[in-house]
Amino acid sequence: MTAAPLVAVATPVVRRWRPRPGAVVGVLMLVVVVGLTAIVPLLPGRDPMAQDLRAALLPPFTDPAHPLGTDALGRDLLARIALASAVTLGMTLLIVVMNAVIGTTIGVLAGWAGGKLDAVVTWLSNVTLAMPVVLLLIAVCAVLRPSAGLTIVVLGCTWWVGYARVTRTVAASLRRQDFVVSPLTQGADTVWVLVRHIVPNVWPHTLIIAATDIATIVLITSSLEYLGLGVQPPVPSWGSMIFDGQRHLAGDPWLALLPGLVMFLAVAGAQFVSQQFTAETRGGLLRTGGMR
Amino acid sequence: MLRRPSERGAALSVADVIPFLARRLALAVATVLTVVTIAFVLGRATGEPGALLLPDNATQSDIDALNGALGFDRPLVVQYLDTLVGLVTGDFGDSYRLRESALGLVLERVPATVELAFWAFVIGLALAVAAALTIQLTGSRALRAVVGWAGAIRQSVPDFFFALLLVLVFSVLLGALPSLGRTSYASLVLPVATLATGQFVMYLRLLDSALSEQAGQDHVRTAIAQGQSRMRVLVTRMLPNAALPVLGMAGLNLGGLLGGTVVVEVVFAWPGLGKLLTDAVSQRDFPIVQAGLVFVALAFVVVNTAVDVLVHRVDTRTAAA
Repeated sequence: MTAAPLVAVATPVVRRWRPRPGAVVGVLMLVVVVGLTAIVPLLPGRDPMAQDLRAALLPPFTDPAHPLGTDALGRDLLARIALASAVTLGMTLLIVVMNAVIGTTIGVLAGWAGGKLDAVVTWLSNVTLAMPVVLLLIAVCAVLRPSAGLTIVVLGCTWWVGYARVTRTVAASLRRQDFVVSPLTQGADTVWVLVRHIVPNVWPHTLIIAATDIATIVLITSSLEYLGLGVQPPVPSWGSMIFDGQRHLAGDPWLALLPGLVMFLAVAGAQFVSQQFTAETRGGLLRTGGMR
Repeated sequence: MLRRPSERGAALSVADVIPFLARRLALAVATVLTVVTIAFVLGRATGEPGALLLPDNATQSDIDALNGALGFDRPLVVQYLDTLVGLVTGDFGDSYRLRESALGLVLERVPATVELAFWAFVIGLALAVAAALTIQLTGSRALRAVVGWAGAIRQSVPDFFFALLLVLVFSVLLGALPSLGRTSYASLVLPVATLATGQFVMYLRLLDSALSEQAGQDHVRTAIAQGQSRMRVLVTRMLPNAALPVLGMAGLNLGGLLGGTVVVEVVFAWPGLGKLLTDAVSQRDFPIVQAGLVFVALAFVVVNTAVDVLVHRVDTRTAAA
């Protein structure tokens, strides 16, 4: 056995941009999911809602008309998985964009203005950190009538604290830099400085959090859908398809496994790609960012 | 030489601790009040319970009479204050369906949930410490890569689907373990395994990066140069320092663990708090939902505050913050 390197050796910084192997795998996974979502609806005869009870519970790869088989009501599994993917990916992107915009706006304003607004935002994010947020989301989505729209609004308006915390720190540290102070002393408009000098330095941070958040949001919405809170039948979702498939686990496990596999590809793909983003942080993408 | 954490803690004067405790307590109270308010708004947002509780053919006067008896005809401010008083006295009203104390029903289910969360936390953390120490001791890149990839894959699967995979393998194919209910110790295995693997991945990441950071520190290099054994340096020097960020995260992660427990309880029909709350939600039994939410928030805040105070006591650097 070789001696264990307990003491870390400084590795030379690699200048040339090179994607990590994980990122390549991640992109391939996402391509499969997005391709499935985009191509299947274009194929003829792929109706995710059409029932055919005579062709119920067909196993995958047996009938050319239903390549991935059918569910208990004889609905085509391939078409349903494609629609579920489209629904979940669309919802997730919407939620992430809402959170990123709200969180970054609040964070930048709080970091810029300081004082009371800053104190309120810090307090709010501390309170949120100290709450069982997922449990509250379950309660809110359940008590108000569950629907896809409600999930989007509730998650889209509540999951922004991470963005606000980071962008607040960045904006506060930028505020004292020369390139921000000097236009202000020469009479530049505050809004102009914010848009021209603060936002361009802040948004890479937002992008990194958003990339990491995609996987988290998919996991949360799928869990809500598994509990019956979110997209309502007959529109399929990964979570509800897995819930329905659970009843047939002994005889027809593919009903739960196939949507689960696609969900795994989406989440793992997003995570592997986001790790590339995080790795770039050390590579210099954010040199001007001012994160300690 | 690095002083032991306990020595540093002892150097802290009482005067330093009090403002910190006061701030922390204020945050705890604010958090619980926020949850109570959300629970109150949720309970009222869906209207008065009279129409929900009585049969469809009940007259409007019957519904009004029941709403009056339950106190729903009073001004909202009075109802809210009443809820706050209930928070202090532990009175959340009776369950609409079961006509029993809502808090009593919640407390009845707590042991089952604590059982799941406790074992998941302990097993996940113990395995994470063992794996992190092994990685550091052997310096094996292959081991770190394997564990890292396995962890990434586990984190890409939501708890409910991982649970389903476990059921498929161990209950359906092998027939070795029960997949539903809480009947014997064997029924603990699959739900705990679901949650513990998630905990394991999280703590392993935290520990590994904290230990790797420690490995580059001067005091570690000095100790190695003095000829102390790697095991000794790892356990007496690196681990106590690396434990600090892990301890800080442990309190916050409790929320995620509780959220995960809710879903896992539904998958395995585990008779705990999560199952009670999701059932109560679908039956619109709001006193239970309110009592459950407030109880969880309270437990969460108490643990968080305790962890913060502990970290504060161990690490004087946070005293200035």
